[in-house]
Amino acid sequence: MDLNNKYQNMSSDSDSKSSSLNSKVEHEESESNSPTKSRRSTSSTSNEIPTVGDIKLRNKPSENVASGRSDDPPLLLGEKVQGVARDVTYLCPFSGPARGWLSVTNYKLYFKSLERDTQLVIEVPLGVVSRVEKVGGQSSRGENSYGIELFCKDMRNLRFGHKQENHSRRNVFEKLQQYAFPLSHSIPMFAFEYTETFPENGWNVYEPMAELKRMGVPNDTWHITKLNDGHDLCETYPAILAVPAGATDEIIRNAAAFRSRGRIPVLSWLHSESQATITRASQPLVGVGGKRCRDDERYTQLIIDANAQSHKLYIMDARPSANAIANKAKGGGYEPEDAYQNAELIFLDIHNIHVMRESLRKLKEICFPNIDETKWLSGIESTYWLKHIKCILAGACRIVDKVENHKTSVLVHCSDGWDRTAQLTALAMVLLDPYYRTIKGFEVLIEKEWLSFGHKFQHRIGHGDDHHSDADRSPVFLQFVDCVWQVTCMFPNAFEFNELFLITIIDHLYSCRFGTFLFNSEKERLQKEVKQKTVSLWSYINSDQDLYKNPLYWPQQHALEPVASLRYIKMWKGLYCRWNPSMRPQEPIHQRTRELLHMKMQLMKISDDYRRELRHKASRNTSSNRLTSPIHI
Amino acid sequence: MMNENRLTNSFKSYVGWDDDEQISSCETSFIEQELSPKLHPGEMIIAEAQSVLLFTPVNEQKTGISGVLFVTNFRLSFVTSNEKHLKEHHIKKNLLLGHQRIHIICKNMRTLSYSFKFSPLGHGKTLANALLHHAFPKRHQLLFAYDYREPNVQSRYSTPTFRCRDDWEKELQRTKCFGWTLNSSNNKFCLSPSLPQFIVIGSAVIENHLRIAMQHFRDGRLPTWCWSTVNGATLSRKADVVDPSNLTQENAMLEIVRKSHPGLLRPFIMDLTKNLPSPKDVNQSFIKLQISVPGKWLQYVSSCLSSALIAANKLNRNESVVLQERDGRDLCCVISSLAQLMIDSHFRSIVGLQTLMQRNGVVMGHQFCTRLGHVNSTDSVKSPLLLLFLDCVWQLLQQFPAKFDITETYLTTLWDASHVSIFDTFLFDCERDRHCATKDVSPLMLRSVWDWEEQFMDQDLIQFHNPLFNASEVHQDDLLKVSTEISCLSIWTQCYYRFLPTLEISNGGKPLEDFAVRTLISMNDNDSKDTREVCTPSNIGSFFPFTHWRSSNSVPPSTLTISSLSLNTSDLQMETSLVEIPEHI
Repeated sequence: MDLNNKYQNMSSDSDSKSSSLNSKVEHEESESNSPTKSRRSTSSTSNEIPTVGDIKLRNKPSENVASGRSDDPPLLLGEKVQGVARDVTYLCPFSGPARGWLSVTNYKLYFKSLERDTQLVIEVPLGVVSRVEKVGGQSSRGENSYGIELFCKDMRNLRFGHKQENHSRRNVFEKLQQYAFPLSHSIPMFAFEYTETFPENGWNVYEPMAELKRMGVPNDTWHITKLNDGHDLCETYPAILAVPAGATDEIIRNAAAFRSRGRIPVLSWLHSESQATITRASQPLVGVGGKRCRDDERYTQLIIDANAQSHKLYIMDARPSANAIANKAKGGGYEPEDAYQNAELIFLDIHNIHVMRESLRKLKEICFPNIDETKWLSGIESTYWLKHIKCILAGACRIVDKVENHKTSVLVHCSDGWDRTAQLTALAMVLLDPYYRTIKGFEVLIEKEWLSFGHKFQHRIGHGDDHHSDADRSPVFLQFVDCVWQVTCMFPNAFEFNELFLITIIDHLYSCRFGTFLFNSEKERLQKEVKQKTVSLWSYINSDQDLYKNPLYWPQQHALEPVASLRYIKMWKGLYCRWNPSMRPQEPIHQRTRELLHMKMQLMKISDDYRRELRHKASRNTSSNRLTSPIHI
Repeated sequence: MMNENRLTNSFKSYVGWDDDEQISSCETSFIEQELSPKLHPGEMIIAEAQSVLLFTPVNEQKTGISGVLFVTNFRLSFVTSNEKHLKEHHIKKNLLLGHQRIHIICKNMRTLSYSFKFSPLGHGKTLANALLHHAFPKRHQLLFAYDYREPNVQSRYSTPTFRCRDDWEKELQRTKCFGWTLNSSNNKFCLSPSLPQFIVIGSAVIENHLRIAMQHFRDGRLPTWCWSTVNGATLSRKADVVDPSNLTQENAMLEIVRKSHPGLLRPFIMDLTKNLPSPKDVNQSFIKLQISVPGKWLQYVSSCLSSALIAANKLNRNESVVLQERDGRDLCCVISSLAQLMIDSHFRSIVGLQTLMQRNGVVMGHQFCTRLGHVNSTDSVKSPLLLLFLDCVWQLLQQFPAKFDITETYLTTLWDASHVSIFDTFLFDCERDRHCATKDVSPLMLRSVWDWEEQFMDQDLIQFHNPLFNASEVHQDDLLKVSTEISCLSIWTQCYYRFLPTLEISNGGKPLEDFAVRTLISMNDNDSKDTREVCTPSNIGSFFPFTHWRSSNSVPPSTLTISSLSLNTSDLQMETSLVEIPEHI
């Protein structure tokens, strides 16, 4: 009786709460809290969307501190205006030229046009810029033929026209050069100037020991070695490594000497039930002579022995076999099967960083600025981008199949084990372990598989460096995120995060606002005191997680088995074609699903309260009713 | 093989028809029985072959399951005793060959391979002959619909037939149409054989003039009304004039259309033969689509959408539009329906869409029988214009996922149902033919495909409704400005890939997403004290409810797997029972 009353009170209470909550949701929606909507609303006020700055129109006071005068751009904490040019024309490829003023800060380029009825704002973090060029010279005639062109890493180019008379170009050009490429000008990166604080500290997201413990390491078969504490064993590896328990320091040292750059096979992931593992390494230094290393072979056998369910190991060499063979000439190679008994070698046929870079370059050509409808399908095909994505995904699926369905351990390597290897292990882990499909888990995954294991972000992205044609640059990490996006499309319920989360990561991969993706290895980051001197991207994201949540998230415990077929691999228009106004989604579908998210939260809260109430009752009254089933969501 | 495929002109697949009861009775009684398919009233076995191997699709054809293959006057049915489960394929009509082996390519893109290697001599040949004979009937009267004897089910989805005055008048009232009048001069189809008995023509056309004017248009198809805006602009359609050198009557008719506009604006005339594919082109691109070359098909989808958008935009600005096509029976149906769908939210529900298709396609005489190839004939042009239309609707649904109360499952099922010669809706070329069939010596009993209860259980029909649709957010006047560029279109995977088991994403895809939304909504609708055990449905793949399990790795039919889970919520059961249908496709 009592309980009934209580319940009724509660439900009526919740009803009123629900309506107020709903109205709040709508309000927030109109405030552009919904990602798609925000993009649309930006599109109505400005023509270029969404840049790192305006993708969220959060009106944080801190972001506007220095905007005293009306023609100052909104500034981040630590951001300073370095130069301003008036009477500049932005040559928009979609809506034609617009006149306005342009300012350059130590973080971004900011253009604002007040000319049209609709305000046009362009905001580009300078980290995104890969090349700045002058267009036209003294003799240039013709309108807007004299100015600056920016080539960006995020699939767009920007062109500005300057007036020759007012000499505004020289100053802007110099400032752009300096702040877009601080490394080449001995200026600190913006991440080290940026002082904003967030409620969450993203540097605490990944604790190597805690993550290993989550997987149940150390245990009987795997233990943690301190051999790399000072990064002496392998300077591109993290300090904390999990290795087979039977591996002595001597075996490890000898095996390291036989692996390219000392990158021995170490644990990436452990199946909590079957004990099958994913380990990663670099290529063995076999060379043309076919050298062998007893300790490396012994070490490999220890990995096999650590999994009682299987007496076999699959070595997945990410490269095409021809490349692997060619590497012998340079002292590398692959494990000969007669030396590594019980191991089966599989080549996954993924191409190298140079092929991928070229593929992305072609992709940009067909996406920006204008899309040629008649050649769209054949154009995409000719870039091979989707084929490469498919190849990576198919490789990860093979790994998942071996680990999940055959309970057999897999060792992954390519040449150095920091590009294709990271793609494969990280992707396989997303597919295998539901934890990595949550927001926090995915952050941990990036910290672990990419950052701590030494994917060379500095070289691959070229942060603050003006060598735009550097052969070290390559969209390796971008491909990984693309693959994850492909999987989220196939399993719309399986991920806690949404598309905006992935796009935000990509945006800040280039922006240099956060310290997360700076430098090449854990060792370098320690030396530069990145954790102390910069802000983590995860601080920013985790302080406003709702923005990045997938309302349809429905945790699934099982491994995902995507279909790695070209019939499913799609062009990620939301990322690559987002600068083109005609390619934006029609309807803010997330608006509806976001309402559902709130509804779901609310219901879960009611049910939790109710259950607590019941339990409370039950503890007082031993002969209580049976507990209502919980809602598993 | 390829050449033979091209010759193929017919097959039908029969969408799940049996209800649970029959299935379970099958499962229990089957062991004592001879293997045989369950027959519908009026259905009979024509030929059978013992010990036939069915191969799994896209597979090196090394493994197969063994069973008995039947040809009835309605379908091809494969019954197997393998793995303790009964497997039945109700397939009808196709093509084949090879020694000891038939290869069947279905109109809905399914392919089947059977081998008679282990069958008694002669079985294969008899079966193949029977199949050839019954899959490609030479006359309309040989269709199964004439033999089928099952009482009609009355539908709750009361879709108007537009065979009576009332249905038309309601539609005219709903759109507040003026300047156009319902006319019954075509009574007994005396003026135009392809137009319905009721047509809506300009009010200014007087009776005598009508008779004369109709003679000047092909098939008598003078401008007839399709839809009106609240402000009086109209969408109408017409055929070309018979004699292009004499435009007097055409001009007179267009003048009447102009006068029907409140602002006396001249109508915008869209010649649909200009920028759109011919029925023949559509068929060619469909053949390409079947072998996974979707470029042309997508291009045609794109051009249909953009033509319809042009028309819808004009109407939105209150300009009248007249659609014109040679006979006015093919793309006129597609474009006029799409334009109305884009501009009038009334048509975006199931009944609304059915009303639209019934009025603009069925009653106005789209030649479904010819275009879908129900009757085998060499001199008629087959063309899946219906599928082209459904694909366009699907694209709209992708771009406006909350604007329609239909799902892709509904659209796919509709496409399947169009091949089932039980329902008369898509079986005839025009109303006159249908009318005659009911007056025949052995009269046809009309059975509308819109009566979905005839095919599905109530809980299955939930799959037809879009959980994201919110009726309270429907605004009367929102024009769907669809992006029509090829780069904005996608391939309808559910419809085109569902027969390739390797392409099914297990535990993923849209069905699971819809399931989550439905569950969330039902959680909200139900009182919260009703806290029930809700668990993730497993074994729902991306082709659900059209899943075909890979028979090679002995996955039991999804029905069994799912129902063996302890599902105690009605929603879950609703989700699962459609699983049974694929077993019977």
